[in-house]
Amino acid sequence: MKETENIFLTLINQHRAIIHKISKMYMNGVEEQRDLFQEIVLQLWKAYPTFKGNSKFTTWMYRVCLNTALIYFKKDSRKVDKTPLDENIDMIDVNENEGKEEKLAYLYTAVQELNVVEKALIFLFLENQSHREIAENLGISEVNARVKLNRTKEKLQSIIKKNGYEF
Amino acid sequence: MNFDDLKNEWNAENPKGNNISTDMLKIKQAHTPIDKIRAKMKHEFFYQLFFLAFMAFIPYIVGFSAALNQVYLMTYAITCGFTAYYFFKFYVFYKNSYDLSMDSRKNILWFYYEMKLNIELYKALTYIVAFIAVGFLSAYLFIERASVFVRIFSKLSSVYILLNCFITILIIGAITELWAWFYYGKYLKQVKKIVDELDYE
Repeated sequence: MKETENIFLTLINQHRAIIHKISKMYMNGVEEQRDLFQEIVLQLWKAYPTFKGNSKFTTWMYRVCLNTALIYFKKDSRKVDKTPLDENIDMIDVNENEGKEEKLAYLYTAVQELNVVEKALIFLFLENQSHREIAENLGISEVNARVKLNRTKEKLQSIIKKNGYEF
Repeated sequence: MNFDDLKNEWNAENPKGNNISTDMLKIKQAHTPIDKIRAKMKHEFFYQLFFLAFMAFIPYIVGFSAALNQVYLMTYAITCGFTAYYFFKFYVFYKNSYDLSMDSRKNILWFYYEMKLNIELYKALTYIVAFIAVGFLSAYLFIERASVFVRIFSKLSSVYILLNCFITILIIGAITELWAWFYYGKYLKQVKKIVDELDYE
């Protein structure tokens, strides 16, 4: 068990940027991003036995991460989770990015106005996935993936423009 | 807006932060809609157990007649039987693990139908328990308050009585549906919205 745990931790630490980026895309506040980050790690660990090595680890990871984010329910603010938040999770605030990674900061702000499926489309697109791969991950047809992605990109452009930024 | 530039910056971004530790794997509470429904069902299970235990003492508290006691025991046994059957079904649902590595549509549809099925089971149990309660109340009136019952019946027309039965059924139905919707409906609604969003072309 300990060995499995170590292998798993090594693998997800190599690709933890995926979890960071999804958490930032799907949640606006830093606390909520941390919660989602923890939830994704938990679900990855729970789902790890289903990873048989037939596909790349990242392919499997994308699916579990996205599916978790798609159906994630925010924690009830009235109920405080007894499990302490892992303070080591460093969720970068939008303001922190300004200047240095301004475009990404605007992107993260703009995607908050997209719905959960649109966020998944943009995320997979930015992760260099082809239309076919996006379609396979989301379980829709390739044509549908292309149409949806184009619409989402247009929507994102107009949101960014509306927010007074253009690149 | 140049998406290629954006992609390059996106892929160059390397979020800071320490490594994910083993502590994060020890968190018990998950927050998928299924987990939320399971948690609520677990709470209800304990309420229901408490209620059934309390029901066992009602004849001693109220002091039923011998005849009504027999009816009550029968009602209680039937309620326990149905509750046990449905709790077994809920337990299977509770233990049924989900596979988040399927494609999103399959995964979300699985969640949707699993949740819907269990909400329907929950409603079925509520209906059954409500009708058993109404049945027992009728038996109580027949046995313990027969004279009052006969007097009322003699004054009322059959249509009026039937209409009342019908309204009772409607009220039980409405309360059950509203309760299930209030308690579990929001999760189902959210998941359905995602399914619709994925299917929309």
